[in-house]
Amino acid sequence: MMPPFVYLIIHIMVEFSIFMIVTLSLNLEVGHTGIPQFGRVIAVIAGAFAVGAIPGRILAYMMGLPYGAEYAIYKYNYWVVDEISNKLAANVPLSITYFILSLLLAAVCGAAVGWLTSRPAIRLREAYLGISLLAFGDVLMWIGYNYEPLVGGSTATAVPDPFRWIWKYRFTVVSFVIVVIAFMMLLIVERLTKSPFGRTLKMLRDNELAATVFGKDIVKIRTRSLVIGSSIAAVAGALYVIYSGTCNAAAFTRLTWTFWPWAYMMLGGVGSNIGVVIGVLIFIIIRKLIVLYRFELAPYLPFDPIWLEYTLAGLAIILIVLFRPYGLLPEKPEPTIPPERIRELLEEIRKEEETEVQE
Amino acid sequence: MFPPVVADGIAYASAMALLACGITLIYMCTRTFNFAHASMATWGLFIVYTGVELYGGSPYYYFPFAFLFGGLLGAICYIWINGPLLRRRASEVTLMMSTLGYELILLSALQMYSDYLTLKFKLYPGLITLGTYDFRIFGIKAITVVSFVSAVGILTALHLFLVRTKFGIAIRATVENPPLANIIGINSEKVYITSWILGGGLASLGGAMISLVLTGSPVMGWTIIVTMFAASILGGLYSIYGGTLGGYLVGLAEYVGMSILAALVGPWILTYRPVVPLIIMCVALLVFPRGLAGIPWGSLLKLGRIFKGIRNKGSEGRGRVAKT
Repeated sequence: MMPPFVYLIIHIMVEFSIFMIVTLSLNLEVGHTGIPQFGRVIAVIAGAFAVGAIPGRILAYMMGLPYGAEYAIYKYNYWVVDEISNKLAANVPLSITYFILSLLLAAVCGAAVGWLTSRPAIRLREAYLGISLLAFGDVLMWIGYNYEPLVGGSTATAVPDPFRWIWKYRFTVVSFVIVVIAFMMLLIVERLTKSPFGRTLKMLRDNELAATVFGKDIVKIRTRSLVIGSSIAAVAGALYVIYSGTCNAAAFTRLTWTFWPWAYMMLGGVGSNIGVVIGVLIFIIIRKLIVLYRFELAPYLPFDPIWLEYTLAGLAIILIVLFRPYGLLPEKPEPTIPPERIRELLEEIRKEEETEVQE
Repeated sequence: MFPPVVADGIAYASAMALLACGITLIYMCTRTFNFAHASMATWGLFIVYTGVELYGGSPYYYFPFAFLFGGLLGAICYIWINGPLLRRRASEVTLMMSTLGYELILLSALQMYSDYLTLKFKLYPGLITLGTYDFRIFGIKAITVVSFVSAVGILTALHLFLVRTKFGIAIRATVENPPLANIIGINSEKVYITSWILGGGLASLGGAMISLVLTGSPVMGWTIIVTMFAASILGGLYSIYGGTLGGYLVGLAEYVGMSILAALVGPWILTYRPVVPLIIMCVALLVFPRGLAGIPWGSLLKLGRIFKGIRNKGSEGRGRVAKT
């Protein structure tokens, strides 16, 4: 058995990874494209509900178990899902296929939702758009919470576990997989934002008119950014559902999946991918420490110390906005050619000048 | 007289109108979409609740205190957070985020305060039913009458303030064109802080009123904030009349419209009640992207031409005076 301390570290790593994916996708839309995305939760819900509702049903159909509306009702759901998980444990290739296909499905659903949200994003101005997205996220959560056949309504639905075949080390392996996927996402986003496409996004953010003059189709680029960002966030939702083993509609609140990522992003630096990673890490560690020392702090305070989390987050947002508007690690200007090449060119120019002077 | 749903709906819609009016006022003057409206409203509820539980009396005695406290919260937000950002010409999204930070602090303060109330006075602020302290006027719940009368009264007072007084005209000038207003010597700082005090006060008053209809808790404002936003966006964000109209529409649709729908379709639809204002908002935004106040009502009612004629005459007259 591992000591509890290691469990804590792994837990922090998993939470850090999932929120890193969400915040990176948010940063792609807000920091790089300049869309006031106050509805990050929409894409996360799309991924989570897709994985909570669809792959389990397909597996149940394949294995001859109830797969209709009764699949999501908690009375049947637990034994159906347990049965599926046991059968998956005996069939390793199926488990892995199921896991990968689930993530792909989540990404596709996220992309679809991203495309849908891009329709109003083209028409509406800043505040109107932000609030509409916020409202849309609430609508989705509310539907999931009340419409039982989807993901069980107010009771959580269990999700088939693709890692049961590892038995003893399941927790460690799942955590490791999630961390690896998160770093892959970081690489993808980093590569995307360094590419010509990423520079186009920044041009669009900084000056729409200039982008139009250069022949860029604003509508198309915004749509692409929203579709890519949403599909990345949907993968995070899917990972969260598979990690926790349940899909609970009430867990997808605007506070957890929209406002916390905004706070992380602002702490780290809007528009800077590495800054966002650092912001998420700092915030998650502080939040976990408050939860960990909750009972040690409790006797000294006339209230539950858990609320300090909110105070700290609020204070952090305000202090950053007032005193460090670009975050801890601000965005750096993007060089179009590698810096070494620029240095070489400068060197050549200097040499030429020197020879001219000598002549 | 009224069915109880209609009476509750009117009270709820009036409170929602005040809340939306506050959001609109703050947005008009300072370009800030105020997330902190949620907890400002809940603080109004907690002022009334504390007063009723600890000092006794009717909830209505404490409404003025709720208004004052909300004004104080608004002033704090302007002086420490919003003002410096406005002077720096921060973007709309930055302004929004700063109020979100303030909202989280207010929310945590509320939760701490309610924990303290439980610990010290053995109260249970997780489930506040102030409605039981209400009395009846002519067989209707007093809150229906009080909220409707005060919403109409406050709106009229605000209208007179903005149209008749010198300072009200200064506010409108600042909304229209801040640099020009500054050139004529209007102190925009004063205008901004007034809008925050009035907006915060309206938020707390609205929250206090809504607590007599809904069940209160420290997260009451946080759960209804999207409805408030929907109401103010429906109103168009640039006119307090639009905001009020939006508040009434959304509030009545949520209460009365839903009970009509439930009678037609079946009671299962009642669980989707919070979704209704949001759908109304989405549809309205897709059809009229600038909200209700953005629709050219004047020309729709064929009054436009008459108004235009009067306005042209007026400007001609002024022009002549200037020439001579």
